[in-house]
Amino acid sequence: MDSDILTTLKILIIGESGVGKSSLLLRFTEDNFDPEQTLTIGVDFKTKRLNINGDTVKLAIWDTAGQERFRTLTPSYYRDAQGAILVYDVCNRMTFVKLENWLSELEMYSTKSNIIKMIIGNKIDREEREVSRDEGVIFARKHQTLFVETSAKTKDGVQCAFEELVEKIIQTPDLWDSYSPQNNVHVGLKDHPEDSSCSGYCDLL
Amino acid sequence: MNDLLNEVVSPEDLQKFENIYHQQLYKNDVTPKAQFEYAWCLVRSKYPVDIKKGLVLLQELFTTHEEGKRDYLFYLALGNARLKQYRQALNFLNAFLNIEPNNSQVIGLKNVIEKKMTQEGLKGIAITGGAIVALGAVVSLGISLLGAAKK
Repeated sequence: MDSDILTTLKILIIGESGVGKSSLLLRFTEDNFDPEQTLTIGVDFKTKRLNINGDTVKLAIWDTAGQERFRTLTPSYYRDAQGAILVYDVCNRMTFVKLENWLSELEMYSTKSNIIKMIIGNKIDREEREVSRDEGVIFARKHQTLFVETSAKTKDGVQCAFEELVEKIIQTPDLWDSYSPQNNVHVGLKDHPEDSSCSGYCDLL
Repeated sequence: MNDLLNEVVSPEDLQKFENIYHQQLYKNDVTPKAQFEYAWCLVRSKYPVDIKKGLVLLQELFTTHEEGKRDYLFYLALGNARLKQYRQALNFLNAFLNIEPNNSQVIGLKNVIEKKMTQEGLKGIAITGGAIVALGAVVSLGISLLGAAKK
């Protein structure tokens, strides 16, 4: 069955403790939500197949613990990741401010210089918002990352976020074509200039 | 799904955290943080001797450092599973689930281990079965040879 898979992509989820990284992953992989989601120990790992424009890609998703006590070791999981999701909680400004640190950490430890980054503002189902959508958009534009707002609780934006990230990775064959040398179908895409960053937002309905 | 059991620590990481641990050990002042970080690397080593050492360090932390108990339990289970000591691994995970029954990360690891036990258990039976067939062949060959000798 694996012969049907275009490629396997390594995706990383990082961000402060309690912003909903594991909840996003649980919603995406199992379409489930646990209101009492516990703190992740070290790193967790899940896989999921995703169909993008007729191609099936396998995602190997590494969900890192946000807690300080794991910080020294989690960067070793950044190696070879093709996509990184940086999550903050729209109801907790501190988690948004800390994104700068997460971006520089990613800069320092990721081994692929053209890794695709996506910033996710999570928990938009809550009313006590501290970070506006516009602030998120501006920050993402400044750092040339994709941007989506989500709610792991209500499903809003979650599927769309992962799909957009993967699509962007697929459009950057340099990131993954060495993984499947038999697949030269997409090499032609290299001729196209990269879309300007932030071109594709997932708009919430 | 097995990736948590298969991913291997980089030699640089292992070296780095081993150095920190040994420096502290030399000063006779090992912090739980340094011990845990070193143990976390050890249980992800490809060498069983490292994993065993990691388990000793985790066991010690588990009895002396209350704060990180759930982390230590989890990695005790992971280390044991990587040594294929599945029963011990499950004991640690069940102990964990007694405290946090709905922890999906722990349930996930438990499922992986149980699957491995089934797969490797079946393989064991297949090998034993094969041996019986082979033994049967030898015995019947012996009988026929005996028969031939008698003629």
